[in-house]
Amino acid sequence: MENKKQVTRRDFLKTATVAVAVGGAAKPLAGAPAILASPNPNSVVNYGFIGTGTEGCTLLGFLTTIPEGRCIATCDIYPPNLKKGVETIGTNPQTYTGSPTEYRKMLERKDMDAVLIATPLSMHAQMVIDALDAGKHVFVEKTMYFKEEEGDRIKKAAEAHPKQVLQIGLQRRSSTLYRVAMEMVRKGALGKVMFVRAQWHRNSNWRRPVADPRLERMINWRMYKEYSGGLMAELASHQIDIANWAFGATPVSVVATGGIDYWKDGRETCDNVEAIFEYPEGRKLFYSSILYNAHFGFNEQIMGDQGTLITTIGKGLYYHEAAHKVTKGAAKENWWAGATVAQDAEQKGIPIFPEHTNGQGEGGFMERELLYAKRWLASMGIYEYEEAHAPRWSELHNLMHSIRDGKPAVVPLEIGMADALGVIYANRAIETGEKVSWPKKAV
Amino acid sequence: MDAKRPAPASSTNKRWGLLFKKSTGRILPFMRRSLFWQISILLLVVLSGRSPAYAADSLVRYEASHQAMGTVFTIVAYGSNAAYLGEVTDQAFGEIDRLDDQMSNYKPESALSAINRQAYRQRVVVEPHLFALLENSLRYSEETGGAFDITVGPLMESWGFFRGRGRLPRASELARVLKRIGYRHVKLDAAARTIQFDEPGVEIDLGGIAKGYAVDQVVKILDSDGVKQALVSSGTSSVYARGSPPGEQGWKVSVRNPLDTKKAACVLRLQNLSLSVSGDYEKFFKLGGKIYAHIMDPHTGMPVENMLSTVVVSPSATDSDALSTAFFVEGVRRSRDYLEHHPNLTAIFYLPGGSGHTVQQIVMKSSVTRLPAGSFVRIAGN
Repeated sequence: MENKKQVTRRDFLKTATVAVAVGGAAKPLAGAPAILASPNPNSVVNYGFIGTGTEGCTLLGFLTTIPEGRCIATCDIYPPNLKKGVETIGTNPQTYTGSPTEYRKMLERKDMDAVLIATPLSMHAQMVIDALDAGKHVFVEKTMYFKEEEGDRIKKAAEAHPKQVLQIGLQRRSSTLYRVAMEMVRKGALGKVMFVRAQWHRNSNWRRPVADPRLERMINWRMYKEYSGGLMAELASHQIDIANWAFGATPVSVVATGGIDYWKDGRETCDNVEAIFEYPEGRKLFYSSILYNAHFGFNEQIMGDQGTLITTIGKGLYYHEAAHKVTKGAAKENWWAGATVAQDAEQKGIPIFPEHTNGQGEGGFMERELLYAKRWLASMGIYEYEEAHAPRWSELHNLMHSIRDGKPAVVPLEIGMADALGVIYANRAIETGEKVSWPKKAV
Repeated sequence: MDAKRPAPASSTNKRWGLLFKKSTGRILPFMRRSLFWQISILLLVVLSGRSPAYAADSLVRYEASHQAMGTVFTIVAYGSNAAYLGEVTDQAFGEIDRLDDQMSNYKPESALSAINRQAYRQRVVVEPHLFALLENSLRYSEETGGAFDITVGPLMESWGFFRGRGRLPRASELARVLKRIGYRHVKLDAAARTIQFDEPGVEIDLGGIAKGYAVDQVVKILDSDGVKQALVSSGTSSVYARGSPPGEQGWKVSVRNPLDTKKAACVLRLQNLSLSVSGDYEKFFKLGGKIYAHIMDPHTGMPVENMLSTVVVSPSATDSDALSTAFFVEGVRRSRDYLEHHPNLTAIFYLPGGSGHTVQQIVMKSSVTRLPAGSFVRIAGN
């Protein structure tokens, strides 16, 4: 390590402040736009990748199996991460490192169609704007931006470059399972959806190991308010978006609390956050994220007056509410009597992808129930066989096809902004202890 | 309870009134209220052949299901107000849950579980309604020569029915278990309202009667709430037909063919009567080429053979539930004796036919039948 450039806390802080400073003097970068002139199904999307840390490398890993894109450059300020990124993608990309604004050099490349950004949250906005101004298609990890005012700046940049794709990394939007779940919501399988309960519970300090204490703030940027929105931004953002999706609306207000009550280790962001988001017509999202019990893990429970969906990555279960049916006039009554039909006292959920639970006995209650579920879903035209890929693979695949084929982004600006505003306002509610209301004409 | 009774006329008028305000104001300004009534009644009577009383109300059918007692209870009710019928069924399901909480032997906190734990060592005071049901249970045992027996649970356990995996118990184990079986081990003291077992390890299981009892309690609620046309089903094994569906003579109930459960063995029309089925096609296991049913003969400790299904029709679902099990164990001959001495029962037996793939049906009735006015059963065959 001694021969390599050491990235210190000061360097990192410089990066962040430079990013802000550059933002203050936002001017289009010199690089000529490299938008694919016309969508061509056979062309390959050349992209650069900024931020090859843990999340970045996860995405790069998926990208190795998406031939529609080719990584020609990577950028990271921290040499070990840069190295890991290069190793992960394996395409021998040109690397950009050293200076905090080095990424702007990368953006000047004319042969680059797109940029993917997986950096700490406080850097997102400027990088997105610079990349758009440089004529690149952009993918940015969630949460889309850090400060409220950044939203309008990104929006302006995006509107100035309407032919460029801007996709936000909310991968559940690319999940077949979630899409089926939302089709069920939309087609009325749950009845009137009034409530979503969601949580992301872990039992860990949520830190990454830091070999050199001087790197603490860079490696564990999630712990510090200067760069991070904490649990709300990193975990809740996924699930706020699910509630927005299920309700087909954005919140009108949020009350929230939180604290550093367990991991009192010098961190600045909360180790627990609890929030109630109110949506139009009194619908609510009840949210918690904690770092001292993992029993309930992470999922969303979407509740309507006729049913409940419990969704998480890879698994979705549907539960009926106690059924009742009202019809007008007399029906042709024909009742069956026979030996007691056994049913578990606790209702078993009906999997969204019934095929996955085959082989649970022949002709048993569950099997019949599954068969019924399949037919029922198919009859509503929403039956899908299974989740064919990891949602993050799907989102990147979608991204490449949006760029190449000119299709709209799966998670466009508006969805990202609605999600980011939820994060920012919930954190504000925690800080001020007051209810925060959305502006009258929120995105 | 009477306070909850609906006032059909006023609620109907209220709703029609609302409709009329809109109608006279916007849609049908010329229409007079009385004229509309006459036309609508006439139309309904002409079109459907229903009695004018139903035509006057806007008839709704309300159907709801609820899981309890390890099965699904279903209630379908007719009336003029869906919201009210919803409240009535909620009340009924609440009562079923209460009974489940009291009588379940799966729930350690239930009154029955407490009895099972304590009644050998001490007398246990029992809630009056549960005490009455226990008294009734012992009466059925006496009257059926022990064919119906609420202490048969440990036997089911040693045959593996509670664990979901059937097994053949050894003779020595069976002998040991049989010592704990028998209603005579249950001592009730009516004056003190207590129960005590005279043998360690005795356990009561009300699975053969609780669902029928619950159906009867629901029927009482329907009665006090003024719901006159309804059907209550506890997992299809006990059904009570209250009144008849609009325009019908009795509720149509098809009894499953035990050898081909998608087909009806017979079809009945019931009014103000209950029907219960005991059968061996939902819970059984195969071992050494033999099929063992979940219905045990308390005398031998062995599952009953040579009986596929029994049906009992009676004014009380508690009766029909207990007796369908008892007749299953007793067989046709001894059940005939019972019917000679007990009124108002219809029993149907399904036995294996000659070839093994056919079902033999035998219908028997009580020697004395004096059903209350408005109750009837008609068997239409299959």
